[in-house]
Amino acid sequence: MAKVFCIDVAKCSGCYNCQFACKDEHCNNEWLPYAAKQPMTGQFWLGIEEHVEGSKPKIKIHYVPVLCNHCEDPACMKAAKNGAVYKREDGLVIIDPEKAKGQKEIAEACPYGAVFWNEELSLPQKCTGCAHLLEEGKVPRCVDVCHTGAIQFGEESEFADFIDGASVRIPESGTGPKVYYRNIPGRFIGGTLYDPVEEVVVRNAKCTLVRGDKTWETETDIFGDFWFKDLPRGKYDLSIEAAGFEGLSFKDIDTEENSVNLGDQPMNRKNQ
Amino acid sequence: MEKKITNKYKRLVSFSLMGPESGALCEVDCEDGKIIRINPYSYDKEYTDANCNPWHMEARGKTFDPPKRVNITHMGLCYKTRVYSPNRILYPMKRVDWDPEGERHPETRGISGYERISWEEAAKICANEIKRINKTYAPEAILCESDMHGEGKNVAPSHGCPNRMFSLTGGYTQQMRNMDSWEGWYWGAKHVWGCEPVGEMAPQANLIPDMAENSDGLFFWGCDPEVTPLGFGMKMPTLLCYWFTELGIKSIYICPDLNYGAAIHADKWIPVLPNTDTALQLAIAYQWLTNDTYDKEYIEKHTYGFDKFKAYVLGEEDGIPKTPKWASEKCGVPVWTIKALADYWAENKVSICHGNGGSYIRSPYATEPARLEVMLLGMQGLGNPGVHQCKLIEWNMWAANYPLPYTPEFVPAVPHICDAIRTVPGDIPSNIKMSRFPLSDAQKERAPEIVDLFEVLPGPKQYIPRCLVQTAIVDKHAEWMGMSCFATAGNPRPGNNRVPTVYDQFEKNVYPRPGMSRIHMIWSTAPCNVTCWNDGFKFQKAYRDPEIETFVIQHPWMENDCYFADLLLPVCTKHEMHDIGNDMSSGTYVSIYKEEPCIPPRGESVSDFDVCVKVLEQFGPEYVKAYTGDLSEEERVRFFYKASGCEERMSFEEWNEKKIFVVPVSKEAKDAVPGLGDFAKDPEEYPLETPTGLLEYSSSNIEKFMPEDTERPPVPHWVEKGPWHDERLSSERAEKYPLLCMSNHGRWRIHAQCDDIPWSREVETMKIKGEDGYLYEPCWLNPKEAEKRGIKHGDIVKVFNERGIVLCGAYVTERLIEQTCYVDHGSRLDPIIPGEVDRGGAINNISPTNPIGKNSTGMATSGFLCDVQKVTEEDWAEWKSKAPWAFERHYDKAFGVCVEGWMKDYENGDNYHG
Repeated sequence: MAKVFCIDVAKCSGCYNCQFACKDEHCNNEWLPYAAKQPMTGQFWLGIEEHVEGSKPKIKIHYVPVLCNHCEDPACMKAAKNGAVYKREDGLVIIDPEKAKGQKEIAEACPYGAVFWNEELSLPQKCTGCAHLLEEGKVPRCVDVCHTGAIQFGEESEFADFIDGASVRIPESGTGPKVYYRNIPGRFIGGTLYDPVEEVVVRNAKCTLVRGDKTWETETDIFGDFWFKDLPRGKYDLSIEAAGFEGLSFKDIDTEENSVNLGDQPMNRKNQ
Repeated sequence: MEKKITNKYKRLVSFSLMGPESGALCEVDCEDGKIIRINPYSYDKEYTDANCNPWHMEARGKTFDPPKRVNITHMGLCYKTRVYSPNRILYPMKRVDWDPEGERHPETRGISGYERISWEEAAKICANEIKRINKTYAPEAILCESDMHGEGKNVAPSHGCPNRMFSLTGGYTQQMRNMDSWEGWYWGAKHVWGCEPVGEMAPQANLIPDMAENSDGLFFWGCDPEVTPLGFGMKMPTLLCYWFTELGIKSIYICPDLNYGAAIHADKWIPVLPNTDTALQLAIAYQWLTNDTYDKEYIEKHTYGFDKFKAYVLGEEDGIPKTPKWASEKCGVPVWTIKALADYWAENKVSICHGNGGSYIRSPYATEPARLEVMLLGMQGLGNPGVHQCKLIEWNMWAANYPLPYTPEFVPAVPHICDAIRTVPGDIPSNIKMSRFPLSDAQKERAPEIVDLFEVLPGPKQYIPRCLVQTAIVDKHAEWMGMSCFATAGNPRPGNNRVPTVYDQFEKNVYPRPGMSRIHMIWSTAPCNVTCWNDGFKFQKAYRDPEIETFVIQHPWMENDCYFADLLLPVCTKHEMHDIGNDMSSGTYVSIYKEEPCIPPRGESVSDFDVCVKVLEQFGPEYVKAYTGDLSEEERVRFFYKASGCEERMSFEEWNEKKIFVVPVSKEAKDAVPGLGDFAKDPEEYPLETPTGLLEYSSSNIEKFMPEDTERPPVPHWVEKGPWHDERLSSERAEKYPLLCMSNHGRWRIHAQCDDIPWSREVETMKIKGEDGYLYEPCWLNPKEAEKRGIKHGDIVKVFNERGIVLCGAYVTERLIEQTCYVDHGSRLDPIIPGEVDRGGAINNISPTNPIGKNSTGMATSGFLCDVQKVTEEDWAEWKSKAPWAFERHYDKAFGVCVEGWMKDYENGDNYHG
C-alpha cells in the first residue's frame, strides 16, 4: 500500500493556494508526532516552480508544484540515525521531530531539495502528507484547496491510469518517487510570417520541422502564427513554404536552454 | 462588549474585501482562543442538490457545474496572518509631535512617531476636536474619507460609520468615491450605449452559456481573469476560462503584459503599448470600413451618428486616415497583426471579457478606448448570439441577472447599516433616495426593531471627488464635472436607490462651495489614498498641509495614509466580531450566514461601529442612543436576519444552528435573454438608455452639452496631447521619461489590502529581495530596456517622473514589451521623504494629478510617462542624510514595514525625529 500525489500540470493555474495552504497548516502549528512548527517563512514543504518559456510575444508559462516525493527508497531515511526517518504503513515518509534533532544530514541527503533545515530548532523538516489530517479522514491541505483538481492524492492502485506514462522528478536519483506528474510541457518553436510588401500575415504556410529522423508539420493560422509544441530539447531545422512566396529555412534552432520564438519573419513574394 | 469564545470550534467567516455584498465562505478552525487554519466551505455539507437546485451549463456536448467547495483565493486562505500581523494597530495612538492644546507640527506628519494613549484620552481628544472645528470653522471643515475597499461587513461596516457620527455632530464634507473601477466605461461608454449606471454592458444575463455555445473567440482586452476577480473572493473565472478552452473557443489577450490569465489561458497574446488601444481600435474600424467587413444592416438599424464616426476614421475630418500603419506607430502592434486581428474579428463571433477593465480604462483619456470598444462590438452585431461584452467580476452589482444561468430564487436583503457614500441634499432630484443603503418598506415591516437605527440622518454639506481631494486641499480650490453621487443603481437589492443618470456629468461643481469652509480636519476609515488613488505624493502633501489641523484614522493596520495621522484608533478584523454575511457574487450560490468571532478582539481594538460609539459617548447618551438605536452587535445580527427576508424561509433558530441559509437557484434564470439580445432583435421595442435609444457613434449628449471638448469629443478620438494630459511617447517629456508606466490590480493584493501576507511576499512576482534584504515591489522591465539601463533582475531601481521617486526591485521579463514598465498598484507606502521619495513601491504616487479628462472626473493611474534607473550610491547617500530616520525604522523581514517601526519607544530605541 502506498499513498501517491498525482499532479496534472496542465490544470495548474499558478494560484499558489497549495503552497500557502501548506503554510497555513504548518507555520506556527505543531502536529506531533509528525511535525514541529514550520518557520513563518523560508521553508516550502510544497513549493511552486514557475517556468517561463519563449519570448515576447510568444510565451508560455507553466507551474510545477514540488514537494517531498515520499520515495519508495528514501535517501533521507538512509542518512538518518536512530530511525529518525521512517516510512508509515501507508508509504508516507516521516521525519520524527524528536529523534531527528541535530541531524542535518537528513536535509542534505534529499536529492530533490525537499527537506529543509530549521536552524532555530536544529531540525530537518518537510512535507508530512498532512498525516495528522489523514487520521481524521481528511486529505492533505494542498489537495483540498486546489480548485482545478491539479493535485490529487490517494492510493497508488486507484491512480494506475494517471501513473501509466507519468513522469517523476530526477528519475536518475533512483529513489522511487511517489509524486507523479503529467503534462509538463516540452519546448516549443513558434513564429509569425508576413508579407513585407503588402504588410499582411501569411496564412496557411506549410511549416516543416526536422530533428534527426523525426518530422513535425503544421500550418500558419489566421494570425500568420505557427507553433510546434511539446518538443524534446535539442536542435531543429525548419523549412517554410507558401504558395507565391520564396521559402524560408532555419537551421539549428536550439531549444536546449529555452523554447524559441523566431519572431515576425518576412516572406518575400516570388518574382512573377 | 464581551465576546464568548469556547475552546475548540469552527466558525463560518466570509472572506470579502471589496464590499459587504461579496464573499467566499471560509470555515475557520479555532482552538484555545487561537485561529488554527482557514478552510474553504463545502456546500454539500448542509445542503443537498435538491435543496439548492444548482445551476448547470451545457455547450458543444460538454457540461459545467458549480463547484461544491468554495473556490477560495489565496487572500482568504492566508487571512490568519493578517489577523495576527505585527502590523496591527492594537491600541489608540497619538503622534508624539502633535499637541491638540499646543503645537501641531503638520510638517512632521509622515516622519514623527507615535505613542500609546488610553481609549478615554483618545475619545476625548476626538470629541473636543470635532466640537472645536465645528465652532471655529463650520461642520463641513471636517472631511470624512470613508468609502470602500475595506473588509466587507454589515452590522459594523468598515466604511460609513463616521459619516453617521458626523451627521449627528453637525455635518461634514463627503469624500465622494470616483468611479475608480469603471472610469472609461462611466465617462465614456455610457455615451454610446447608456447602460446605466456604470457604463459596462447591461444586462449581463446568460452571457456565459451564450458565449460557450456561440462565440468562436474571446478577447481579454486589458483583462486579467486570474487577478481582478479575486477581490470578490472567488476563482470561478479560472474554471470558466479552462472550460472555454476545452470547448475550442480561442482566448486572445490584448494587453501590454503577458498577464496571469494570458500566462495559462492565452491562445494568442497581442501586446499593445499602454493606453494606446484607441489607435488599435481605430485601425480595426478602418479595416472593416475599407474592406466592407462589418454588419451594415445592423449599423443601419441600431446606430446614431455612424457617418461622423466613419468620416473621422477614414480621415475625412482631420485628413488623417486611421490606417493600420498610422496605428502601428502609436500602439506598437505590427501592421500585419492589426490587419489579422481585424480579419479574425470580422470572420469570427467575438465577445470581449473584462474584469472591469483595470489599466485599460483607468488611463488618461480612458473614455476613448471604452467608447470605441462598444462601437467595434456594434459593427459586428452587438447583442447577437456570441457577440457581447462580459464581466467576470462583481456579478451581483449593477445588473439584475448574472452572466451565469443563475439567480437566487429570492434576493435576500441584508441591511447595511452605514452609508459610506452620501449625496449632498439638494444635489440630486428629490425623487432619488439620497441614502445608498436605506431600509426598504419590506425590511421595515419585517424588522420594526431596526427602524430607529436606520433613520436617515442629515447628509453631508459639500463633497469632493476622491480623485481631487489632494488637489482641493493643496490648491485650496477645485472644479470638476459631475460626481455628485457614486452610482449604485441596478443593484438587485430591494431598496437600493436610483442615481443621477449621465446628465450629472454635465453639471459643474466647485470646492469650497460658495460660503462654505475649507477642510481643516480629516477623519478616515479608508487610509489608502497614497497608494490606491492618483498622485499619491500630492495626497501626502495634502495630509501635511498646515491648514489640516487634525487627522484621525480608524483602521486595523498601520499602513499608507496612517503614517500621516495625528490619532490612530484600533479596529478589529472581521474574525473578531459578530456579523451577518452575504455571498452575492461568488457565482456558486447566494447564501446568508452567521459570522461569529473566532478570537477575542486583539489588544484594545473594537469594531468600526464601536469606535464611533466611544467618541459619541463624549457627546452624551442621547447621541449614543441615536447612533446605536440601543442595539448591540448581536442584536443587530438577529434583526438584520429578520429584515433580510430569509426568516420566512428558515427560522432564526435553525439558522443559528446551521449558521447558513443557501438560497436555492431560480429555475427561470436560464431562460432570460442573453445580454442585449432584445435590442439586437428590435431596437425600437427595446431601446438603449441613450437619448436616441440607439448606439451613439457620435454622442448626442456631448454634441449638445460640450461639443467643443477636445479630450472627449462627440466622436471618440485619438488624443495625442490635450489640456489635461501630456503622457504619450511622442511628448517632449518622453525625452526625460521614455517609458509608459502600466499599473494594474495587484496579483497578490486587493488594492492596498493584503500587502503584508508573509507567505505571498515570498513569491517573486509579489516582492523581490534587494541586496539590502528589503523586499521591494517588483517593477517589470523588458530585458532590452533593462540592458539599456544596465539593470539586472533584482536590482533596486527608482521609477520616477516630475512627481517623485518610487523605489522598486527590477523584475526583468519577456512578459512585458519594450518602452514600458509595469508595477501593480497598492503596495504599502514606506516614505523616505514624504511627498517625494517612497521606498515601498506605491506606484500611484507618481500617477497623473489631473482626472482622465477635463470633463471626465475619473482617475488616471496607468499609462503615464516615467523612467526607470538603478538607484545609485549618491541617491542612497542623499536620502540617508536627508532622512536618516526612514532607514532606522524597524522592518520585519517577513511582514515588511510594521507598526513597531513607528512607535516612539520601540525596543531598538527612539525613532522620534521631529
